Amino acid sequence: MSRNLLGIRHISAEDLRDLLALGTEFKRRVLQREPLPRVREETVGLLFFEDSTRTRVSFEQAAKYLGMNTVSFTGRGSSMSKGESLKDTILTLRHERLTTVVMRHRMPGSAQLAARYFPGPVLNAGDGEHEHPAQALGDALTILERKGHLDGLIVAIVGDVEHSRVARSNAWLLSKLGAEVRFVGPKTMLPSHTAMLPGSVHYTLETGIHNADVVMCLRLQKERMLDGLLSSVGEYARMYQVTRQSLEYASPDCLVMHPGPLNRGIELDDDAADGDCSVINDQVENGIFVRMAAYWWALDRTMDDLKKVAA
Amino acid sequence: MRTLLKNGRILDPSQNIDMVGDLLIEDHQIEAYGPNLDVADVQETYDCTDMWIVPGLIDLHTHLRQPGFDHRETISTGTQAAAAGGYTVVCCMPTTQPTLDSPSLVDYILDAAASPSSGGAFVQPIGALTVGMKGEQLSDLSALRRAGIVAASDVGAPTQNSRVMKRAMEYCTQLDLPIIAHCEDLELSQGGSINEGPVSAMLGLRGIPRSAEEIMVMRNCLLSLHTGCRLHVTGVSTWGAVEMVRQAKYLGAPVSCDIFPHHFCLTEEDVGEFDTRFKVSPPLRTQVDLDIIVQALNDGTIDCIASNHSPYASHEVDVPFGEAPFGISGLESALGVTLTHLTHKGILSPLETVRKLSTAPAMVLRLEGGTMRHGETPVAQITVVDPNHRWRFDVGRTFTKGKNSAFHGMELQGKAVVTFCGAEIYRDAAFPESRVTTSRKRS
Repeated sequence: MSRNLLGIRHISAEDLRDLLALGTEFKRRVLQREPLPRVREETVGLLFFEDSTRTRVSFEQAAKYLGMNTVSFTGRGSSMSKGESLKDTILTLRHERLTTVVMRHRMPGSAQLAARYFPGPVLNAGDGEHEHPAQALGDALTILERKGHLDGLIVAIVGDVEHSRVARSNAWLLSKLGAEVRFVGPKTMLPSHTAMLPGSVHYTLETGIHNADVVMCLRLQKERMLDGLLSSVGEYARMYQVTRQSLEYASPDCLVMHPGPLNRGIELDDDAADGDCSVINDQVENGIFVRMAAYWWALDRTMDDLKKVAA
Repeated sequence: MRTLLKNGRILDPSQNIDMVGDLLIEDHQIEAYGPNLDVADVQETYDCTDMWIVPGLIDLHTHLRQPGFDHRETISTGTQAAAAGGYTVVCCMPTTQPTLDSPSLVDYILDAAASPSSGGAFVQPIGALTVGMKGEQLSDLSALRRAGIVAASDVGAPTQNSRVMKRAMEYCTQLDLPIIAHCEDLELSQGGSINEGPVSAMLGLRGIPRSAEEIMVMRNCLLSLHTGCRLHVTGVSTWGAVEMVRQAKYLGAPVSCDIFPHHFCLTEEDVGEFDTRFKVSPPLRTQVDLDIIVQALNDGTIDCIASNHSPYASHEVDVPFGEAPFGISGLESALGVTLTHLTHKGILSPLETVRKLSTAPAMVLRLEGGTMRHGETPVAQITVVDPNHRWRFDVGRTFTKGKNSAFHGMELQGKAVVTFCGAEIYRDAAFPESRVTTSRKRS
């Protein structure tokens, strides 16, 4: 038995709580150097059709902590760049005796396609602008550590929500666990229809982060300007940059988050990025522990199974 | 050779005939019809009790793919699919390789369609409006017309340049050649794969805004109004597009339009978890659109129903949603879907159903067919429909090579069961042998 982590949208609140609890427990064990389970029979294929360093490293680290073998595949120079279809790539990996697939692909829904042809767990490491579930789990664990709970929190997601898988996965996760999600940004970057995406829409930073407990900035893709979504980076920064000053509108101990890589001076100023409320580095570290949780959960193992791994 | 279709419900929208009676085909011509025909020396009798006898269906929007994309469909498999779907005429789009912009290619298609390996349906080619469908230089439309095209269209590569479109319309007016327009502003739809709306926002797919369609419907309708060119808008999908066509007709523009079956019964929500079978162009819209569309079908603003038969090979469809092609194979499901979702729900009467699928398409392109009037078709084109036959649409049982269908697995009520197209007769298993009586002529 195994499960897929294709997106947060498909996962129940109960499973999300389990995943976060597992993440917490893995973190405790790693930090306290307690024994970790060894899942030696598993081989993880890290399939990155799109370039990514941090996500790939995080998944690889998590796998190594669990004693899993990893095999890396990247787009360039592989069969994937020689015109092989995604379906055939997946079928091939299956017969290379990989047991788990972690995949990043530029097309939304590609993880669903992979899961149709791969018998073991498929973990989505980002499918286009659709979902990035492990990122959202790491972000949630970070908030949970600082705030102790998620329900009732106001979380403002600032930036290009329309084109962000990070925003989508976070919106699903946080709202499923009881937080209020706000999307903040220029109209050109916010979804024009939110009936099926949980979040309210705010066009000014002041109203969007008013009383917020968490401000989550998204990376600004500068090439978006070519698409006419923006007049200039300068104008965006003037209107939506999260600064010590704009944080006055938020609740006093508001957390500042960013999935990275950071455009310093655009999404955030130095004070906000490096201030006491910034948890950007925690996000990176927690990313590893929730990925351990994701592997464990996807292999259909529980907290009880983990607790059996004796000290 | 005399064939008698006995005791069916004869529906001929061209004469507003709706009566129970018999129809006699003699030497592949419709010879007579009426209640209780008294005919001797009949070789074959088809008992059509509880069935409809209608003019053969005519499709204004078929992609036959040959030459160039024979792995998706050929003229042979496409015309077999047509006959099985109740069609006796399919108008094939110029989306071939090379593009259908030269008379020799028209000859090639007509020859292939006339060959014995082809199925029992006539093929009427639609020529490319511009060379290579590039939207720049007009095709040799006069020569193409002489070779046999029945309309001109740049379908999937709609002419963006309004000046080119205006000139094309002026030129086609002179040739009395209708233009079939797929209306899409490619700048607005760029990168999109489903309707811009709540589902695209949820799935992280780029949306195609409704304005991409409506702006071009409006532009083309205005150009038609001012040039007098006959314009047929194919595949309306939004309430706004429908209202534009309604307005153009009110203003007196020579405009008609059609709709594809998936646009009157499916919505963006059917895309589900990135199901590429539901990726169509224009995209599936919303319930609000469906409500207006259904009214517009009923009040006649939407003239025709076209199959938009767009077959693809399985490997082309089994890819991530954004990479999948647009379109479904529609010839063998169009009638069943129409009967199930419009006729049996009381939106279209049986006579109006046949008008949308046969008589109106014939009138739009001035084709022979769509009628039972004596001498108006060179050979008999008749379809027998069992309006109540319940069946499950299964792509495993279709004649088309394209197994890409949003309707796979759908329960349908109503099916074409016999298609007469001149000497060619297609009989479906749903019309049992026991209903056919053959008698040898006494010597």
